[in-house]
Amino acid sequence: MSELNLTLKVWRQAAHDAEGEFKTYRLNGVSTEMSFLEMLDVLNEQLIAENEEPVAFDHDCREGICGMCSLMINGQAHGPDNETTTCQLHMRRFRDGDTIVIEPWRARAFPVVRDLVVDRSALDRVIAAGGYVSVNCGSAQDANALPVPKQDADKAMDAAACIGCGACVAACKNASAMLFVGAKVSQMALLPQGKPERTARVLNMVARMDAEGFGACTNTAECEAACPAAISLSNIARLNREYFKAVLTSPR
Amino acid sequence: MTSLIRALSSTIGKKLLMGITGLALCGFLVVHLSGNLLLYVGAEQYDAYAHALHSQTILLPIAETGLFLLLILHIALGVITARENWAARDVRYEKKKSKVVETTSKGAPNVASKWMFLTGIIVLMFLLVHLGHFKLGVISPGDPDATEFANAARILSQGFTQLVYLAGTLVLGFHLLHGFQSAFQSLGINHPKYTKGIKIFGFIFAVTIALGFASFPVLGLMGYFSGNTGSPPAAESVEAPPAETPPG
Repeated sequence: MSELNLTLKVWRQAAHDAEGEFKTYRLNGVSTEMSFLEMLDVLNEQLIAENEEPVAFDHDCREGICGMCSLMINGQAHGPDNETTTCQLHMRRFRDGDTIVIEPWRARAFPVVRDLVVDRSALDRVIAAGGYVSVNCGSAQDANALPVPKQDADKAMDAAACIGCGACVAACKNASAMLFVGAKVSQMALLPQGKPERTARVLNMVARMDAEGFGACTNTAECEAACPAAISLSNIARLNREYFKAVLTSPR
Repeated sequence: MTSLIRALSSTIGKKLLMGITGLALCGFLVVHLSGNLLLYVGAEQYDAYAHALHSQTILLPIAETGLFLLLILHIALGVITARENWAARDVRYEKKKSKVVETTSKGAPNVASKWMFLTGIIVLMFLLVHLGHFKLGVISPGDPDATEFANAARILSQGFTQLVYLAGTLVLGFHLLHGFQSAFQSLGINHPKYTKGIKIFGFIFAVTIALGFASFPVLGLMGYFSGNTGSPPAAESVEAPPAETPPG
């Protein structure tokens, strides 16, 4: 086990409507076995000891499945690793003497709440517009009572891996939520339970996405590279197909 | 009808129209390059093609109007989406680094995708110069009685014009490097069997179009049109000099 001495350049903003700025902190003796969030915990202990406000950041499960953690680390969403959330990023990925720039997700649809915490409820409102199945499912039915081809089940499962962290929006040059919406539309469109509301779902979710102020898709594939859940760009193509189909066939 | 217009003005709808108009304009580039390649064949053939084209008094204006509408739509949508996309991120990052691995097939050439608006604007400016030369005749107008080949030879022999045409055509190729394959994704065409092929074809297409069009100012640079007489130099002078005997 070795230790790192780091310089942290952290975005500090007291409140949504307050002026923000970068503040530089020295943090010594960081264990390479810490996660990135544990490193921030140590920073906050240090700040509290110095009678300063600790840095606010989002986190919850710290095991890479809840989608709560975020952070733009040296210009990369969730840091330098592929298919990794910030909480699963470890300090061994950094070198002694490194300067690490830590910023919140930047998007008009994700206003900064405080420091590194942004309000991602725009994604929740997109889900509320149609990202669900509104039939009462009851208790689990017999296996294979509803035949689903294995390939479709796999694709739906891959899309459902989205944890809604917003890294796709953060990494996109247009702050577009197409990968998120693509995954959420795909997981339903691929399965029989999602078919009845398929048309209205995609129309409503895309309308909500646009209303929230997310950008359009330039197909740069930055979202796919930044996604901790490895959501594929093919979900965006499926979203496009679902949308055109819905536009042409919807009764209204 | 109103629902269709509403749908086409959504972010997805606008990108669909961008893709369709972009691919249609790619089709025009193929036709245009094919015609221009007659510059290599000879003055007579090139002039015959130009004459045949311009004598289409009904079809040509229709085609040109269609082309103009495609272009206007493509440009207008490009400007509108670029504005919306800038607005979608009100505060810029202090530091931004791509996570796309350029070498993977998934990542393909993603550099071009970051510069679509700028390269589009450059291509538009080049296009205006090009139309000023060949369509409207407002930039360096020549003898109105000159043949089309002589006119092209005269324009392509101008030093600064050669550089503008070279830059314009190469930037166009860079724009297509992303644009061609991106259009298919915007149209929802992404399939494990075909996407790789589309990307490879898109790359070859962009390079072919860029090199094909860029070859004309290069011809001018190399003095192919010098003499400016309305006919290419005699065949023997075009031929490569005999290969040098290897030293030793």
